[in-house]
Amino acid sequence: MITAPHPVPEATVVSVERSRPRLVWPAWGWSLVGVLLIWGFIIAVRPGAPFDPLAQALSLAPFLVLVALGQMLVITLGPGNIDVSVGTIISMSSYVSVAVSVVAGPVAGLVAAVGVGLVAGAVSVVAILLLRVPPIIATLATSLIVSSATLLLSDANRAAADAGLRVLVNAKLLGVPVSALFVAVVTVLIALMFTRTRFGLSIVAVGQSLRAAERAGLRVKTLTAIAYLVCAAFAGLAGGLLAAFISPSTVLGTSYMLDSVAVVVIGGTLVSGGRPVPVGTWTGAMFFVLLSGLLNLVGWPVGAQNILKGLLVVTVVLISTASTGTGRSTLARLRASLNPHKKETTNG
Amino acid sequence: MTAPAVALRTYTGRTSLAERAKTAARQGSPALLSLAALLAIFAVAVANQPGILSIPGLTLMLMSAVPLVFATQAQMLIMAVGDIDLGIGYLVGLVTVIAATLLDAQPLLGIGLLVGIVGVYALVGLLVERRGVPSIIVTLGMSFVWLGLGLQLLPTPGGAAPEWLAAIGSWRPTWIPGPLVFVVLATVVGWYLARHSRIGMRMRALGSSAPTLNKAGRSLTATRVIAFALAAVLVILAGLLLAAQTRSGDVNSATNFTLTTIAAVILGGGNFSGGRALPVGATFGAVTLGFITVLLSLVNLSSSLQSAAQGLIVLAVLAGRVITERFTR
Amino acid sequence: MSSIAMDRGVNDATSRRGPDVIVASGVTKRYGSTTALNGVDLAVSRGEILGLVGHNGAGKSTLMRMFAGRELPDEGRVSWHGGDGRWDARAAAAAGVRMVYQELALCADLTVAENGALSDPRPSRAGWRGTAERRIGEVLDRVFPGHGISVIQRVGELPMAERQMVEIARVLCTDRLGLLILDEPTESLGVDATRQLYVHLKTLVAEGVSVLLISHRIQEVLQHCDRIAVMKDGAVVDIVGADRATESALLEAMGGEVRADVGTLARAKVLADAAPQTGATAEIIAELRTGDGPALRVGAGEIVGLAGLAGQGQEDVLARLWQGGRGARVPKRRAYVPGDRQTSGILPLWCVAENLTISALGGVSKLGFLDLRAKRALAARWIQALRVRGEASTPITALSGGNQQKVLIARAFASDARLVLLDDPFRGVDVATKSELYALMKAEAAAGRAIVWYSTENREMAHCERVYVFRSGRIVSELSGATNTEERIIADSFDHATGGSR
Repeated sequence: MITAPHPVPEATVVSVERSRPRLVWPAWGWSLVGVLLIWGFIIAVRPGAPFDPLAQALSLAPFLVLVALGQMLVITLGPGNIDVSVGTIISMSSYVSVAVSVVAGPVAGLVAAVGVGLVAGAVSVVAILLLRVPPIIATLATSLIVSSATLLLSDANRAAADAGLRVLVNAKLLGVPVSALFVAVVTVLIALMFTRTRFGLSIVAVGQSLRAAERAGLRVKTLTAIAYLVCAAFAGLAGGLLAAFISPSTVLGTSYMLDSVAVVVIGGTLVSGGRPVPVGTWTGAMFFVLLSGLLNLVGWPVGAQNILKGLLVVTVVLISTASTGTGRSTLARLRASLNPHKKETTNG
Repeated sequence: MTAPAVALRTYTGRTSLAERAKTAARQGSPALLSLAALLAIFAVAVANQPGILSIPGLTLMLMSAVPLVFATQAQMLIMAVGDIDLGIGYLVGLVTVIAATLLDAQPLLGIGLLVGIVGVYALVGLLVERRGVPSIIVTLGMSFVWLGLGLQLLPTPGGAAPEWLAAIGSWRPTWIPGPLVFVVLATVVGWYLARHSRIGMRMRALGSSAPTLNKAGRSLTATRVIAFALAAVLVILAGLLLAAQTRSGDVNSATNFTLTTIAAVILGGGNFSGGRALPVGATFGAVTLGFITVLLSLVNLSSSLQSAAQGLIVLAVLAGRVITERFTR
Repeated sequence: MSSIAMDRGVNDATSRRGPDVIVASGVTKRYGSTTALNGVDLAVSRGEILGLVGHNGAGKSTLMRMFAGRELPDEGRVSWHGGDGRWDARAAAAAGVRMVYQELALCADLTVAENGALSDPRPSRAGWRGTAERRIGEVLDRVFPGHGISVIQRVGELPMAERQMVEIARVLCTDRLGLLILDEPTESLGVDATRQLYVHLKTLVAEGVSVLLISHRIQEVLQHCDRIAVMKDGAVVDIVGADRATESALLEAMGGEVRADVGTLARAKVLADAAPQTGATAEIIAELRTGDGPALRVGAGEIVGLAGLAGQGQEDVLARLWQGGRGARVPKRRAYVPGDRQTSGILPLWCVAENLTISALGGVSKLGFLDLRAKRALAARWIQALRVRGEASTPITALSGGNQQKVLIARAFASDARLVLLDDPFRGVDVATKSELYALMKAEAAAGRAIVWYSTENREMAHCERVYVFRSGRIVSELSGATNTEERIIADSFDHATGGSR
């Protein structure tokens, strides 16, 4: 039930003018500029068939977007929240999905992949909420456990992905990969979730100010648990799909850990939480995929690519914390979240 | 125009040695968990392999712990100011690479690079204090820079550590396990930096209550920058000692250090919110976790399971911390 | 209002005074729309103990911080020995101004000796640790003989009283002491330690040190100070020689009650009549046991006030009512209006409508999916009812503090909470907004909600049916009807136990 203000002066409900869509620079704007720039470079380096690199990127990006959407959900929870287990979850679920689909069909395989994610996510959630371990350590520990499980599975497993699934993942509809369409639908659902559901809005509120959200009566622990579970489940699903797209491997997901964080941050989502930008995961992922395409094209070694990625993340984080002016308060909130019992001493 | 407020007069309450020992024991009690774990693991190992109780046996047991103890002391300094370093694993790897390539061929460039690393850490400390960026994201990003640099210098494991470094690694006195000397040395250095020196006191004050440090008129920025720079020096020492043992470079040789050092600090009685630094506890924690690795290979645990064991042990340690906190409250 | 033989008092006091050490002249300090200090003139002279008293928000702490150089005045100036340099933290440190903070400037993770060394300006060479131990040990021995504190203990291990002693000793670890500022130094000290402190202050004063003492223990101030300055509403309203002052005169100067005078009774009666029927017969919907004091009860349709000096346990009561748990009986649906808008109130990245409706989303959604139309209507109704400046889509941070507070109040009342907790929400809110919000609260209570309202502004308590006054974490009195007056609240807030002159 909703409650109306009791001293309502006039019984009529005033229609508040809806804010007109104005032309504001979107949060994902810079990453789109980045995409276009890199695309331009690629065309310059290798003229002819200008749309080929885009089409290629579009077939690789959906998996990254899927993982990044989950990572975005977690990062939106606020400072200190990050899931570094997504990479190993992808590797493990690739094996599990293949093994299960051999026995029970591709759908069961994908369900099992999601299940792997949920189990791993549950481990992290228990560590974060019950053992009060900072999320980064909790998910790091989970990722160690998962990577062992992956090694064990890889010894026992040599099966190939289900043929039907393989066809589906590689299929194209009007030139657009089916996987891209699927992930696009997921993105729309996530975007709707953030604007139209209680859950989504509550997550965003928690990310803006944990204390204010708690005072507003939101169930912070439940929200945290669901966010980490969804993130891990998305990683699991991505692993299941990647198993069919590429093939299971122990290092299948390794690069996804930093890449997903980078994609989220580059896409305009606030690293301090409270402002998700679902569309940005697409522009961010396309930027990343095109960038590594370009670097491979011009022959940059893996090492240099890593350096660039690392510096890119640090720079974007620096710029985004500076430009939103949330840096100082973020740090304070992070400290507070690390130790809720510590008495705050102020100058007053 | 000021009056003497303190004249040296009456202080008679010299703190007796016995009282000092008692206080130290009480303040170090959070580290007891790690000591108990250490003794338990050691007992299991001895029961399994009685040969450990000899100087060569102890040397073998302790060897893997030496770089880890140095890296743990570094992590302890960073956690004392309330931050976490997620780049330690790859940085130790990078240092082994530098040791195995440049330090032999172009010593000056190699040393320059190492000094540069210290500078980068100082810069990270500056950014964390001044810009308020979360240290975990920055150090996570930097870890990929270290990895990238390592791969650039040495794409596949190899190279050769300089002779003098290898000599340090193969130093085997007959009267004492060599690695024990290094472990003690690291602890003393960590103790001096974090607990005995004045800058260490300021570092702990920064992690404990930054406004108080500010009211005392000390620079928060300088304190954090120095903490990061000192930590970098210790990480570099850890990398050099690892290279001294392996005699080669591999950027991926110490990836597990990131989590292990954090777990060791916590196991040794540290906390995530800063202000506390227990070097002896941290060393116990690191040696315990190092022993576990050795023990796992002694009992022929499949190498696939080693990282799972590590992850589970970390979670168990943290669960133990929660339980002991309940008890002591 | 109060002029306690003021002329004579000041004259007598001045005649014995030494030269002025530090002088604040025309000092004004504003934080946003609130004026913390309004043209304060105050001088501390050499070798005197100047007491500073006043109720919540009178501006004592701000003035202290200004003397300590940690706060710069917007207007007016602070000068040291008549000099005209800039008075900041560096200048204050060089001049030997040391301050005991009410919240204690100690690091819990450091030892007693380390805490002393941290703020000790004296250089020390090798073996600084031994020097530090000796220095603070000597100070502790001298000020608090028989203190029983080991200097190698961590401060976090000490009980509050000993921490307070360490804080005092820490400040005395210096060889240049010019002005000593003490902000509630005896709040958690025992009787003996308190006496020892004042004995030591006397010797310091004899050596030429000046002391500025803030305390809400009026008896101590009367006994030990040379002069007493009374602050009210950001200004020094009275300065009297301690030998001339009485507790009742000081309380009156602060705005408190002396005796039940006729005017107060008359005013109180008007308020009592104006207030709605008391909730004595109403259903008790929340109950909280507080230590050894009486239990706190709140009935439906009732506004219950929590009063007293700031930080006497009121926040604790609110937190327990909010979290539920042991010793608390509370309804399932509750709402909380935080006092600190910036850190625990607003959701800074959102607009007004989203901030307003976040607690009421359950009411405007089906199966977790929001009915956007209903949500907009809900926001619009409240924005209109409270006349929030700005549209539903205005960013919350673009609003003034008062309007932000309106949104937070609306957030609580837009939900279906039966018990609404207010944590001193009207600090820094302008008068017009306040009276609108008071009216809203009364209307909401009349509609059956229970409201628990903690306020540091005693005047506001007139809007409550019943008021619990807190001191040292306990309920010391329950006021209602004719006894619920600002004067009674102020009188009950102060500790009379140590005095006995009344």
